[in-house]
Amino acid sequence: MSFNDELVSLLPPKYKGRLSITGSNTGKRLELYIDPCDVRSILKAVYDAGYNHFIGITVVDYPMENVFELVYLLSSIERNGELLAIRTKIKRDEPFIDSVADIYPLAYYQEIEGYEFFGIIFRGHNGLRKWILLDNWEGPPPLRKDIDTRQIVLEIFYGGKRYERPRQWRSLGGYSGLERGGENE
Amino acid sequence: MSKALTIFLGPQHPGAPGNVAFKLVLDGERVVDIDLIPGFLHRGFEKMMEYRRWDMDLVMCPRICVEDPDHVELSYTHAMEQIFDIEPPEKAKYIRVIIAEFSRLASHLLWMMHFAGPIAARYATSWAIAAREEILKWFDYVTGHRIYHHYIFPGGVRWNIPGDFEEKTLKVLKVIEPLIKDLDRGFFHHPIFIKRAQGVGRLKASDAIRLGATGPNLRGSGVQYDLRKSLRYDAYGEIDFEIPHGEYGDAYDRALVRLREMYTSIYIIRQALEKMPYEGPYRWKLPPTLPIGEGIGRVESARGEFVAHIISAPSNPLSRSLTPYRIKFRGPTMPHLTTILKHIVANEEITVADLPILIGSLDPCPPDIDR
Amino acid sequence: MVFKAIILGLKYLLRKPYTRMYPYKEPAYTTEHTRQRHILRMDLCIGCRACQLSCPADAIKMYKIEGDYPKNRLKIFPGIDYSRCVYCGLCVEACPTDALIMTDYTMEHLITEDKATTLYSPLDLARPPETPYRITMSKDTWSPLPQAPPRKSHSG
Repeated sequence: MSFNDELVSLLPPKYKGRLSITGSNTGKRLELYIDPCDVRSILKAVYDAGYNHFIGITVVDYPMENVFELVYLLSSIERNGELLAIRTKIKRDEPFIDSVADIYPLAYYQEIEGYEFFGIIFRGHNGLRKWILLDNWEGPPPLRKDIDTRQIVLEIFYGGKRYERPRQWRSLGGYSGLERGGENE
Repeated sequence: MSKALTIFLGPQHPGAPGNVAFKLVLDGERVVDIDLIPGFLHRGFEKMMEYRRWDMDLVMCPRICVEDPDHVELSYTHAMEQIFDIEPPEKAKYIRVIIAEFSRLASHLLWMMHFAGPIAARYATSWAIAAREEILKWFDYVTGHRIYHHYIFPGGVRWNIPGDFEEKTLKVLKVIEPLIKDLDRGFFHHPIFIKRAQGVGRLKASDAIRLGATGPNLRGSGVQYDLRKSLRYDAYGEIDFEIPHGEYGDAYDRALVRLREMYTSIYIIRQALEKMPYEGPYRWKLPPTLPIGEGIGRVESARGEFVAHIISAPSNPLSRSLTPYRIKFRGPTMPHLTTILKHIVANEEITVADLPILIGSLDPCPPDIDR
Repeated sequence: MVFKAIILGLKYLLRKPYTRMYPYKEPAYTTEHTRQRHILRMDLCIGCRACQLSCPADAIKMYKIEGDYPKNRLKIFPGIDYSRCVYCGLCVEACPTDALIMTDYTMEHLITEDKATTLYSPLDLARPPETPYRITMSKDTWSPLPQAPPRKSHSG
């Protein structure tokens, strides 16, 4: 894999020297770190350079450094499936970033997922709502690191400490542990 | 003109492809707009996997895509092997190729059931499921289970293949091939099916790339793109095969691409059986703690491109972690049922009677969207 | 062409159906690697709880059993809840003394009309099944033990 000259020539001069190649095997990719205010111009330049197949947006939550990291994954079909990853970081207290749904049509649905699971607000998007989690979940965005979903489920449904089976009061047929020797603690 | 009518094609409907719902806006008989309502199969995999160790996570992986479970395990394994920075042994690479191709065959035969059922061709459904039964018995013989195998593991494959592997596999192929030929003659070249499927749901090549389509839907429109040939992961670099593709891009072309892929899979399995080394190790043992790193695994599953993105970061500055920090899966069905369906419905004349053929030819797997 | 399809279908009219009448008329289809019910050998178990920590479905619970077991000082033994088990085999892989093994016996732990019989205590697990069975998964499924991995030489 070598550097793509067409891509380097279309980038603004601030980022021209910042491309790097990382990864191995099927994860071999070009990487670029950008500031969150330049997201729309960089993605438009990348679309014109031939990377027009959108894969997805991965959001990672780092509560100790107080940032959200977004990774945009794109690939190019003419260049035989080459992968490009564009990474930015936004602040966790004010999670705002521009939306790219008019450049890539599939980003419309990946941004809805970013909103309902993490709480990130994409400016210019007119359909941010709970889509997969509708009628499934009331409360703060669940994939953040400070929400403990396992404890919430244990308290609502199992009343406390562990996933216990409820006590059986019917006839057991002489086959279960309660009659045969081992006892519950 | 009559007013627009909004109806729901709900999750419990014989014509819906699994547990998803659609909201249709109708004008007479013609469908004007379509919206997807997901969320009936959301089990919260990405959060659950952060509470378990990395080898227990592999047991949860195949339950994400019900029809084609081995490719999800394969993408998770590739990402884990990039984090550990190792390469599996040669024997394991060929075994993975054989298992993945049988899984693709079983998935296409299950697609026949979802496709031929709603248009009332029940004979093709029975033949396809009978052929799939032979494949599930073969999986029971090699891995121990019929549908969710837990066999492809980071470091190789979990245990050794039996002694009579080659003759048993060739016998299974000899039983399946006449059944697929019967399907070819009796269903795909039947005049009633040709009349119903030709001309329905045309998708041009430039639109398919812009909207994010992958897999047989992209190849049915004429684009020759297959990750097995581009990335050459595992042992696909040493096996020689052709990629089937269509030209016009309607539902008939997409169905024929899947039929030709079934023949290609049988051809790949025969070649891999000849080239495989039968001596040597089949698995490396990996330590229980994860190093810090990141891995992206991309595989070509039966429906398209499946991507697993795994990040391993320390959650506690004093110790190494046992669980991955963040796992993200992107299934191939998300672009097919959202952007592509909306585009086809807005630009072509689709009536309510054509909707099962159109949705069936896109081959959706609803657990992929919700995870 | 329609007529040809009808003639093609006639040959399938006369063959035996693929359905297997399990469990009342035919036995289950099992092979050498089929994983079903476990057997616990109580004289080898040391009570280390490695099986409970490896279960992805949270199906193993430890019970305290009195008796003469010299290797097990804490006197705790595993019991399995078969309505949660997914038969993955990670507990057998984690056991250090080969006390927990898997067989291909597929009858009463799931085929039952009373859900209470799917909760097995350690004494239930130690009792072997009555009909003939095969041991399919134990420590020598992986012997010789797999080697340490080689470091990939750094290239591009």
